[in-house]
Amino acid sequence: MSLLASAVLAAPAPTPDIPAPTIEYGLLSPMLLVFGIAVVGVLVEAFVPRAHRAAVQMPITLLGLAGAFILTIVVATQDITPASGQGWGKLAAMGSIGIDRPTLFIQGTILILALVSTFMIAERRTDEGSFTAQAAATPGSAAEREGLLAGATHTEVYPLVMFAVGGMLLFPASGDLITMFVALEVLSLPLYLLCGLARRRRLLSQEAAVKYFLLGAFSSGFFLFGAALLYGYAGSVQLGAIARAVRLGPGGQYATEVYGASGQFAQVTVGSNALLMLGVALLAVGLLFKLGAVPFQSWKPDVYQGAPTPITALMASCTLVAAFGALFRVFYVAFDGLTWEWRPMMWLIAILTMVVGAVVAVTQTDVKRLLAYSSIAHAGFILTGMIAADAAGLSSALFYLAAYGFTTIGAFAIVTLVRDAGGEAGHLSRWAGLGKRSPVIAGAFAFFLLAFAGIPLTSGFIGKFAVFQAAIAGGATPLVVVGVLSSAVAAFFYVRIIVLMFFSDPAPDGPAVVVPSVFTSAAVALGVAATLVLGVLPQSVLDLADQAASSLFVR
Amino acid sequence: MTVLAEGSYASPTGQEIVFVLLGVVTLAAAVLVVTTRRLVHAALWLVVAFGALAGCYLVMSAELVAWVQVLIYVGAVVVLLLFGIMLTRAPIGPSTDLDGANRPAAVVVAVALAGVLVTVIVDGFRTAYVPSARASSGAGSAETIGAALFRDWVLPFEALSVLLLAALIGAIVLSRREIGPAETDARRGGGEGEG
Amino acid sequence: MTGTLTSAAAPLAGSFGNLAGAGLAETTAATGAVHGNAWLMVAFPLLGAAVLLLGGRRTSGWGHYLAVAMSLASFVWGVLSFFQLLGFAPEERSRDLHIFSWIPVGSLRIDFGLLLDPLSLTFVLLITGVGSLIHIYSIGYMAHDPERRRFFAYLNLFVAAMLLLVLANNYALLYVGWEGVGLASYLLIGFWQYKNSAAVAAKKAFIVNRVGDFGLSVGIMIMFATFGTVAFTPIFEHAAEGAQGWVTTIALLLLLGACGKSAQLPLQSWLLDAMEGPTPVSALIHAATMVTAGVYLITRSGPIFDVAPEAQLVVTIVGAATLLFGAIIGCAKDDIKKALAGSTMSQIGYMHLAAGLGPIGYAAAIAHLLTHGFFKAGLFLGAGSVMHGMNDQVDMRKYGALRKAMPITFATFGLGYLAIIGFPGLAGWFTKDAIIEAAFAKGGTTGLVLGGAALLGAGLTAFYMSRVMFMTFFGTKRWDDGAHPHESPASMTGPMVLLAIGSVFGGAFLVLGHRFADFLAPVVGEQEAHAFNPLAPASVATFVLMVLGVSIAWLRYGRERATVPRTAPKGSFVTVAARKDLYGDAINEGLLMRPGQWLARVSVFVDNRGIDGIVRSLAAAVGGSSGRLRRVQTGYVRSYALSMFFGAAIVVAALLVVRL
Repeated sequence: MSLLASAVLAAPAPTPDIPAPTIEYGLLSPMLLVFGIAVVGVLVEAFVPRAHRAAVQMPITLLGLAGAFILTIVVATQDITPASGQGWGKLAAMGSIGIDRPTLFIQGTILILALVSTFMIAERRTDEGSFTAQAAATPGSAAEREGLLAGATHTEVYPLVMFAVGGMLLFPASGDLITMFVALEVLSLPLYLLCGLARRRRLLSQEAAVKYFLLGAFSSGFFLFGAALLYGYAGSVQLGAIARAVRLGPGGQYATEVYGASGQFAQVTVGSNALLMLGVALLAVGLLFKLGAVPFQSWKPDVYQGAPTPITALMASCTLVAAFGALFRVFYVAFDGLTWEWRPMMWLIAILTMVVGAVVAVTQTDVKRLLAYSSIAHAGFILTGMIAADAAGLSSALFYLAAYGFTTIGAFAIVTLVRDAGGEAGHLSRWAGLGKRSPVIAGAFAFFLLAFAGIPLTSGFIGKFAVFQAAIAGGATPLVVVGVLSSAVAAFFYVRIIVLMFFSDPAPDGPAVVVPSVFTSAAVALGVAATLVLGVLPQSVLDLADQAASSLFVR
Repeated sequence: MTVLAEGSYASPTGQEIVFVLLGVVTLAAAVLVVTTRRLVHAALWLVVAFGALAGCYLVMSAELVAWVQVLIYVGAVVVLLLFGIMLTRAPIGPSTDLDGANRPAAVVVAVALAGVLVTVIVDGFRTAYVPSARASSGAGSAETIGAALFRDWVLPFEALSVLLLAALIGAIVLSRREIGPAETDARRGGGEGEG
Repeated sequence: MTGTLTSAAAPLAGSFGNLAGAGLAETTAATGAVHGNAWLMVAFPLLGAAVLLLGGRRTSGWGHYLAVAMSLASFVWGVLSFFQLLGFAPEERSRDLHIFSWIPVGSLRIDFGLLLDPLSLTFVLLITGVGSLIHIYSIGYMAHDPERRRFFAYLNLFVAAMLLLVLANNYALLYVGWEGVGLASYLLIGFWQYKNSAAVAAKKAFIVNRVGDFGLSVGIMIMFATFGTVAFTPIFEHAAEGAQGWVTTIALLLLLGACGKSAQLPLQSWLLDAMEGPTPVSALIHAATMVTAGVYLITRSGPIFDVAPEAQLVVTIVGAATLLFGAIIGCAKDDIKKALAGSTMSQIGYMHLAAGLGPIGYAAAIAHLLTHGFFKAGLFLGAGSVMHGMNDQVDMRKYGALRKAMPITFATFGLGYLAIIGFPGLAGWFTKDAIIEAAFAKGGTTGLVLGGAALLGAGLTAFYMSRVMFMTFFGTKRWDDGAHPHESPASMTGPMVLLAIGSVFGGAFLVLGHRFADFLAPVVGEQEAHAFNPLAPASVATFVLMVLGVSIAWLRYGRERATVPRTAPKGSFVTVAARKDLYGDAINEGLLMRPGQWLARVSVFVDNRGIDGIVRSLAAAVGGSSGRLRRVQTGYVRSYALSMFFGAAIVVAALLVVRL
């Protein structure tokens, strides 16, 4: 049948009905609510007078995130059996979304951390907030000064954050590579923008945004190329189908439903291993970029430094969780049968990430850059847990992510409070003697640093212990040795800051600590509380992570 | 559906010959894009490359993709590029500073990348042969793609709409001026008018 | 709460001692409002300490009342728990209270759980009862101290830690309490840190205790390795199944811990110096409660010691040696508190001796511990009262004839004195005799030696305590100029009176009718009831020696013609040795400190030259590589992109290498 003939034949006939897709709105409700609130936020921008926008945006954003968290719990309490009959979970929305216990744990973590980050975004007392008055104004221009003087700020930040959070929820839940790619873009694009909206040091902020955008686009290219090659290999972008193709091996054949023609099945022949290996590698590059694993970490310090600190906190906590969630899903589901192939590669990446993150941090002089390198090193530690490639590794990594997220948000919240004339006092030398001036703030920061270093009675210790234990059980003892050595190097610079804060004399013109409003105080207090509770009484969360991980991802 | 045995690369059909010719055109135009010394020419050669690529899609009976290629890439993207060249007052004539010192390195990277990809694809699909007759059975038609898009891929499709909305908001944030003295804006507008 | 009240009321009607159970009790889950919330006993004083420490000077005005209230609250809760426990049949009197999973890492699962049984509740009553009295006493004693708030915070901290120690249902939690009381003790000994001697004493107590604590912690680790758990119940059930060598090792390490905390040989030296702390501290921590933690540990770990007879023998030897050692030191000290400290050491030696005898002695050890808690606390408070009236003078050679100036102190101190020397009918007589009898009952040469030591100790006790008594309250005035002894305020004498009552009647109450032994039987095991016999040969011999000791003391210090020089005479060889704590410090110094310092010097040398060199070069290497790696971060997007590209190449290569 030629093209023309089909067109002619189809013309008089009525348009054939497309059978309606099945969408499980209940299971998707957390994501739908977050996206819905984002759209409401856009409408608020359009119709609410400027003076009242912040007062409207902030509560609906917080309520939306809290509501989504509650919906996540509601979904988690339901009894959902997958098609295979084992475990818990379901492939929803025509296979685009996998809802299962690890995903719900990750989504819940993201939502809680996003809520805490939003507290920081809502802070207006520190220099009228962290966001620029108008992004369009040239840095240093009269228009910018006017905006600053008028005390204006971009309330579009709230819907943008909600879009990003929605993407983060979708990213680890994606059941196929197309959805995952779209989710990756949905979470990245608002972040690119948000990075460029810092109130102070606009040039640095804009530079960060451009760098993040360019490199992010570059890594998206890798991801997409990997997905295409995997499609060539497996004949499908469904993670479950890729796993099946991996099990069958090159030349194996299986039947798959033809898209757009329901009820028809096509025989697919599995392609060559070269396609698979290159596909795995390129996909991994795309994912590892997002979590800042070495050698794809170069954006992290620049972007973390330039971005508005609340956004840095959001990226360091929620984006990291989402990126790890997606990495876990891809490697635990699609590349489940390839563990022996990808493990040496992950070994290499994990070692590089831990070592480079810890070693380069030693010579950093800017506190945000330092936290960025610390975040790189922590990504390495979490990768160590992943290498076990079993439920224990997943569980330990989930716990680590939750614990680290709270600690890092708290640390960045404190960074927003230590200010001098030019905004945040980023240079470490400015932090000297802070303990004598503001013992509570310095004490909290020291506590966070100890948690980063993994000192007992903090969540960092329990997290590292769990991850390393899982890695040893998974036969990666040398990796753990490297991990412990990197922790020792890392502990050096954390302790150095503590010494600097408490045992140095403050400079006479040193930075002042702003008395925050209830928002930032809440972020810091929650960070301290979570770090302490997860360090002293980690049992309930460990159990939750265990329970979440034990049923693994749905296929 | 079984793999049809008839046909092979050894005895190409007319469609296949057209495909190869279009491919050569695409490649040649692409090389010219990066080697020409005139910026505008580069943009125009890009039109040729995109157009030939659309032809490749058509030969493979992916009609919708082909027209999308023509509309968006040949139409929108290239026009956007040309507008960019015009608005930034880039030189119309030949310019010598289009190449940097990294040219050799760029060549090496590009060739290496192409080598890897070609190797992989050739290696990956060495034995696969799909006669174009089978390909034209409607798999690339707008109807099939629409059905797939609104049934199997409805969720990523809707997520894309969210992405576009976010991008829109972002564009507004980055470009819209709301605060600042009116006379500043007026002066700026006047200045642009003079230029 | 109604259930609590009825169950609390029931046993009041019946005598609680006659409900003897058979064998070790099964542990049952604790229920009911009182037992179910037993953690409140620990929480009350902990809360008090937290409020006082965190509240700062704001709490100075009322902080001491809060501390007293918290201590009393624990006491009331302890009494309620005690009576509710009595409401159960003896074999059900072991109530396990699971609070939460504390350390659940891998195969190591430690629960935060409390164990309510006759033994732990006995201690709870002692700690909170005596503790509350001493809290009240301290209000008066510390009235003029600007840091009174801090003092009460530490006292509350101590009570909380000590309660945790005795209530824990596993060794890990016990260890937390163990370290907690060590910390509180350290803080309180050094409370007057501006006094160099106090600071040094605190440091010494801390260091010596570390040795014991180290033993305990290693013991707990071996326990976990041997039995796979650190909880009491499963360990005691399987103690007999463990390898003999390891069980003995565990028992000896536990003993080492006990020696540190209870100031037994060879870790005795810190206790005498610990008297630098305020006197209420000496009474509460270094006489009545904390120093008896070792006895508690050994009694609690009875099932382990019962299957390690060699370790038991070591316990008895340590106890016997210490009781003589402490008594001899007590004979020579002129400082009233140090004399009492020597006595404490000696009395705890008795308890260890009894505990080392096995089931026959556990009840006797704990009974003596209780009565000792009363009379020794009373004696210390009396000593504090004397010091309070004498401008903090501690040298007994500068006392004399105080009985008229401080009648209440004299009366209560006197009753405590009679109790400790074992005057018939008073508390010490019952409980000490029980120990001496039990030692002789062991039989054989061992029994003779141990019993003989205990007997001799009784005589020495009578002598040195009489010496203290006579030098302080009798004889001639040898006061310093400007001393105007006066009776102490009611907040101080009240507790002393109450403790004196306990010193008089406590022993009879516990021992007569075998009451206490039966009460403890579910925990420490059954022993055949033998009636208390005041005319047994051992008792008679004890009495004779006691009279002898008192008489010698009377001749030397008590009668009107006896002259006590205001400066200590040179004294015999034995006296000199005893004044120097029988060279305990010298031995420590020669055997441990000098080699230790030498080792430290060598270590410092090695550290400076070797390890520091390595560390420095490592640090330099890390810093250097950090600087080099940092240069990769050029700030140019193009170089970042290139690095990503090469990274991708590495990833591809790493994946393909596996396939080759």
